[in-house]
Amino acid sequence: MSNRRSRQSSSALRISDDQMIDLVSKLCQLLPEIRERRRSDKVSASKVLQETCNYIRKLHREVDNLSDRLSQLLDAVDEDSHEASVIRSLLM
Amino acid sequence: MNHHRHHFVPDFETDDDYVNANTNSSSSNLPRKPIIGEEEDGDLMELLWHNGQVVLQNQRPNTKKQPLSSSAAVKLHNGAPPPPLDHNLFIQEDEMSSWLHYPLRDDDFCSDLFFPAAPPPVPSTVRPPEPSSMRPPAPSPVRPPAPSSVKPAVRNFMNFSRLRGDFTGGNGRGESGPSIAKSTVRESAKVNPSATPASSAAREPDLTRRTDGADSRGAGDLGSKSAVDGGGAYTVGHNRKGKAVVTTERTSENLGASSSVASKSEIEPLETIVDERKRKEREEVGSTECRNEEAKQGRGSSSTKRSRAAEVHNLSERKRRDRINERMKALQELIPCCNKSDKASMLDEAIEYMKSLQLQIQMMSMGCGMMPMMYTGMQQYMPHMAMGMGMGMGVEMGMNRPPPPPPPFMPFPNMLASQRPLPPQTRMGGYPAVQASDPSRVYGPNQQFDPNSSQAQFSGYMDPFQQFRSLYPSQPPQFQNQAASYPSSSRVSSSKESEDHGNQTTS
Repeated sequence: MSNRRSRQSSSALRISDDQMIDLVSKLCQLLPEIRERRRSDKVSASKVLQETCNYIRKLHREVDNLSDRLSQLLDAVDEDSHEASVIRSLLM
Repeated sequence: MNHHRHHFVPDFETDDDYVNANTNSSSSNLPRKPIIGEEEDGDLMELLWHNGQVVLQNQRPNTKKQPLSSSAAVKLHNGAPPPPLDHNLFIQEDEMSSWLHYPLRDDDFCSDLFFPAAPPPVPSTVRPPEPSSMRPPAPSPVRPPAPSSVKPAVRNFMNFSRLRGDFTGGNGRGESGPSIAKSTVRESAKVNPSATPASSAAREPDLTRRTDGADSRGAGDLGSKSAVDGGGAYTVGHNRKGKAVVTTERTSENLGASSSVASKSEIEPLETIVDERKRKEREEVGSTECRNEEAKQGRGSSSTKRSRAAEVHNLSERKRRDRINERMKALQELIPCCNKSDKASMLDEAIEYMKSLQLQIQMMSMGCGMMPMMYTGMQQYMPHMAMGMGMGMGVEMGMNRPPPPPPPFMPFPNMLASQRPLPPQTRMGGYPAVQASDPSRVYGPNQQFDPNSSQAQFSGYMDPFQQFRSLYPSQPPQFQNQAASYPSSSRVSSSKESEDHGNQTTS
């Protein structure tokens, strides 16, 4: 069914079922929420995609926070200290 | 007016009842009716038109047979069934419940229910089913019960129920009924209460039905008009509230029996507005439902259902696809430098990006936690951290390839490499080089740094997301230079690494 549909649909939207399933499963592994409430292949693709977007946004926020903290720490550290370099590397 | 209505009611009652009522009970009233009827008719006509033109109009087309009978009956009694009466008849028989015609008299029931102050319109004369008027909405199928309204209230009540049923049945066809009923109720107390608008009544709660039934049956009993009135009043109140209030059987009777109740007029205006609206709504709903159902059935249920199911399925499928596409677009926006139009590759990139983000965050958090300790010479912890991170990352990533036990650092790069089967990625390309370079930058100061393994591992961590980080706009400005220079730093670091190594060895 979906193959038929995908063939009919535009190429941009075409994606094989296997691909989708594979990717979705991968995402499932990464997404903590979905992993926890695993419902044996009942997770719809749109749901997974939504969760992925949310998760990525969340990760971005985390990164921002950590960057802020690290930069603050860096300020508190001597510029030439080891720590500074470590921090910089982290931040980079 | 009420008086007039009362007189008329019997005239408008449905055939048998009507006639019977007229002959039997309303005989006395009959003589009055004709005369008054005319007047009333005029009044009634006016009223009908006033309240709801629909009533009259609808009535006409709907009630074909009844008018004949009613008119005949009327003629029998009054010998002059004026057209308005016909209207009333129409109304009564089809949709207008007799109660409509029944003046809203404050029979024991009604008055309490609806018009506490409403004086009985025609207490003296037969009490037309005031309730009928009171219940514009419900009474539709109420037949001209007036004649028999005298019968025990219970009966009337049953009549109403019957009428209700009729009403329900006629709902599909008798949309006008409710409207008519409404109008009639309002205006025509005199209209035969028995003629309850089927449509409106059907919708109405049980009471309506009951009333109708009672009306129809009791139509013949003019004597029971009073009862009907009470019932009518009851019905009206009921209708208004839209609840099947079976307060008293009598009310139903009244509604059914005495169509023309003067009090109706009183009640009508109050109820009319609300009832009309309700009735109209109901009508619409009912009519729509009836139509839909009929249409479906008429067209051949199977084919229609299938086509509809297919349409529904297509629609849902389309919605699902749209939703997925939306999410894909959003995801694409989130992933930096995603120039893939293909869904699959985009998803792959998303996966990698997510992993790298996770790695990065983990490292940074560890660095944050460790920073305070840097002062105390935590440099030696770095390798350990790297190790822990490597192991943790492996687990965190949910990789299916567990790191080989022995050199804790070793597995990480392997894992990372294995995770990235996508060769063309620049990340991959730069990976080995970065591997060499990163550690130098990170662990330069760490003299005790366990060189290769940890460095490699660490660089593995750094690399994936660092590429993204350079593109990620959230980087602190002060490090922009470093980030910008990162690509080149890999090369430089390699040289530095050698230096570091050299330093380490020397130190």
